[in-house]
Amino acid sequence: MKTIIHLFLALAFCANVTAQDSSYLAIVGGDIHTVTDGVIMKGVVLCKDSRILKIGKRVRIPEGAEVIDASGMQVYPGLIAADASGIVNGRGVDVADSYDPYKLNLDLALAGGITTIQNGGMVVKLKHGTIDNVLAGPTSWINLNYSSTSPAGRRRVREEFSKVRDYMRLHRGWKLTSSMGEDAGDEPEAKGVKEDYLALLKGEATARFSANSLKDLLATCELLEEYPMQSVIYGGQEAWACAGRLGRVNARLIITPRSKKWASDDLNRPSGWTIENANILWEHGVKFAILPGENSISLMGLAGRDLMTLPMEAAFAIRGGLQQDAALRAITIDAAEILGVDHRMGSLEVGKDANIIVCDGDLFHYRSFVQWAVVDGKLMYDKQKASYFAHIRPRAEEVIDEMEEVIDEMEEVTNIDAPEVVDNP
Amino acid sequence: MIISSLLITLTSSLAWQQADEREPVGRATAYRLDRIETLDGDALTNATVLVRDGVIERLGKAVVIPEHATIHDLRGTGSVMTPPLVLSHANFLQSDRRGGGNNSRFIAADSLWMNESWAEDLWQYGVGMVAIDPPGSGAPGRTSVLRVEPASKRPETLVDDLHLKLNMATNSSAKKLIREGIKAAEAAIENEVQAEKDWKKARKEWQEKQDAKKKADEEAKANGEEVEASDDEEKGPSETFEAPTIKDNEQAFVDWVRKERVAQVHMRSASDWLHWQQLMGEREESYEVVLSISSSTNLHEVIDDIVAGVRVDVPARMSFLPYTRNRINIASELVAAGCEKIVLSPSSNSSRGVSDFRLQISRLLAEGLDEAVALRAITLEPSLAIGQEEVMGTIAIGMPASFVIWSGDVFDPFTEVTSLVLDGEEKFNREQFELEQQR
Repeated sequence: MKTIIHLFLALAFCANVTAQDSSYLAIVGGDIHTVTDGVIMKGVVLCKDSRILKIGKRVRIPEGAEVIDASGMQVYPGLIAADASGIVNGRGVDVADSYDPYKLNLDLALAGGITTIQNGGMVVKLKHGTIDNVLAGPTSWINLNYSSTSPAGRRRVREEFSKVRDYMRLHRGWKLTSSMGEDAGDEPEAKGVKEDYLALLKGEATARFSANSLKDLLATCELLEEYPMQSVIYGGQEAWACAGRLGRVNARLIITPRSKKWASDDLNRPSGWTIENANILWEHGVKFAILPGENSISLMGLAGRDLMTLPMEAAFAIRGGLQQDAALRAITIDAAEILGVDHRMGSLEVGKDANIIVCDGDLFHYRSFVQWAVVDGKLMYDKQKASYFAHIRPRAEEVIDEMEEVIDEMEEVTNIDAPEVVDNP
Repeated sequence: MIISSLLITLTSSLAWQQADEREPVGRATAYRLDRIETLDGDALTNATVLVRDGVIERLGKAVVIPEHATIHDLRGTGSVMTPPLVLSHANFLQSDRRGGGNNSRFIAADSLWMNESWAEDLWQYGVGMVAIDPPGSGAPGRTSVLRVEPASKRPETLVDDLHLKLNMATNSSAKKLIREGIKAAEAAIENEVQAEKDWKKARKEWQEKQDAKKKADEEAKANGEEVEASDDEEKGPSETFEAPTIKDNEQAFVDWVRKERVAQVHMRSASDWLHWQQLMGEREESYEVVLSISSSTNLHEVIDDIVAGVRVDVPARMSFLPYTRNRINIASELVAAGCEKIVLSPSSNSSRGVSDFRLQISRLLAEGLDEAVALRAITLEPSLAIGQEEVMGTIAIGMPASFVIWSGDVFDPFTEVTSLVLDGEEKFNREQFELEQQR
């Protein structure tokens, strides 16, 4: 029995050679869900500084690297909440100046596997204990009010877009003429043209709509057909009923699979919510991110429907027929793409930011906990050290550590050195 | 008994001999105590302090007491002498409270509102000096130092205009305020340097012009020509350099950036400290940290970083770790982390807070704070923090005779102030005070 324990210890010890100062961090032995390139069973993710250096089955781990033993566990990219409030303070660049890296909500978000959020138009990394490099960039979203409750607002939006289109045509004509060497006169001025709207039609910004009902979604599709641009639609409860059209205008959605809505009697076509919403959107090639009903860390009300349990919301889409890897995309790479940061995060790829979580089971299983969260190559959350969940199903290795201590103590007692005997000369 | 009386006659005869050698000037008073916490080397037991003209003349176990001296013999009563308590950032005498923003032109002493008994209120708890903070958020002004003396409206200040008070918080407006304060100060300094350069250049050019003119005139004179005295002699730049005026609200920041002033930075959480560090970056301005911790604090997260040579003012209270029932003694944690400059302050910003100050400290002692550190943290350290260590803070030969005599151990909550002496003058006497209270 004792030898078995020792063998166990030796193994555990090999995998646990830690060095805090090293710029390397290796996550060893877990099943790596890369999101974009399948699953690597029992592989290694090696990070250097803040980036992923290598991923694979045979990766040499540099001496002195900090090693996380993820054997038997599942490794995912850090989850991304496309919209969050109450985790960090401030809007835009102010977030950096009002960042509290010891805030409880931040720790709880990390405990839920979230490593990146969008807050007040800024993509923010969640880091415990440091305020360095926490911003990942602005979203460049422009809010458009295109709801059926405000017909005047709709008219204004269309008028503004029409002005922008006229100006763009004029400008294109002028550019063409002058490029052919003819006298085209002065460059047309962008007078009375809204800069925001111009940026939208030029493809430099993303339009953000709020639309839940089929009516609003169809109207939004109509606008996007007339004025093609990048878009994000919040809500989308009845999006399944016009999924094809949403796909054709390349709309991207942020949906809450569990939010329910009655079917509308005054429509002569299917409406209302369905558990299959996410799956139908997926089948029609519509990109979407998943968010829970409350976009904050909520310490009140019913548990399981706020950002502490983001994967649970995605699990509900799986219940409605969505494939598991599609559900994973909706809270990682697709959310990153909607935020415009998919070149840096959202999947496990060499060169990307080292934002990684390690779960003790399948991410979408209610039993699973996030054991470690790594942000920018640094360990930011360790379940065993955070006081909130450490006592629930503690990690096996901690039990081994305790046993090791007991054995050490026993050895100390037995290995008493005999006093040195000096011969009398 | 006989031996002791013999000793006294012996010492008094010795004193007589000495008195012959040096003229006794002024009134001498001797205090004989069971214990003297000098804060300047080891504590003395069964020792004597001889005060003449408000200054400590002799101190030790074998002090020769002049014959004419008044003797207060308090030996055998458990009496302890310490320097008076000093509060280095009190703000309980303030009348107006300013909102956020840069109000650094204000001086705390200008908005004081004293009641009649304020001095006695503090004396009876052993306080001899207070530094007053301007209240308010942002950069509310500069601190002032007061001696505790009765006065109806505005008391005599030792220093009017001392530290620059800054409130650090984890939000963009607090950081912006300090960032812009530093930026404006640097611009003002740059402006002054440039102005001086310009003045020097203009002065030099003018001087050369004058010299050339003089020379020409002299040559003309030598040639016998008539020199016209020009009426409109060009007025050159002033003889001495006049620095451009600095705005009221920039002055304190300019002094700070020039390292001529210390900043007192108030903060309450670990993230405040991180943001302050980020603001300071490579800067080397001197500052002290004033922690305002509430019933729970997460300052333990950064305590090892705080201690790098900075003086830290800690409220005398136990706190909880956030979201737990685990208590933390920030003062002793700081000591454990190697911080030597600790100031303890009453945790409540009212004169009431002073009355249970020692009780609160006794709780910190029960939770592991070292007693010597605690005593230093309420006497010498606050004096050093406000640069008044020559006024009070230690009991040593040549120092002004300012001290408190306690009825027993300083941190025993049942101990009272027997007597408080400032510059040799007894300001408070428990017996008299109680007699007056009875009347």
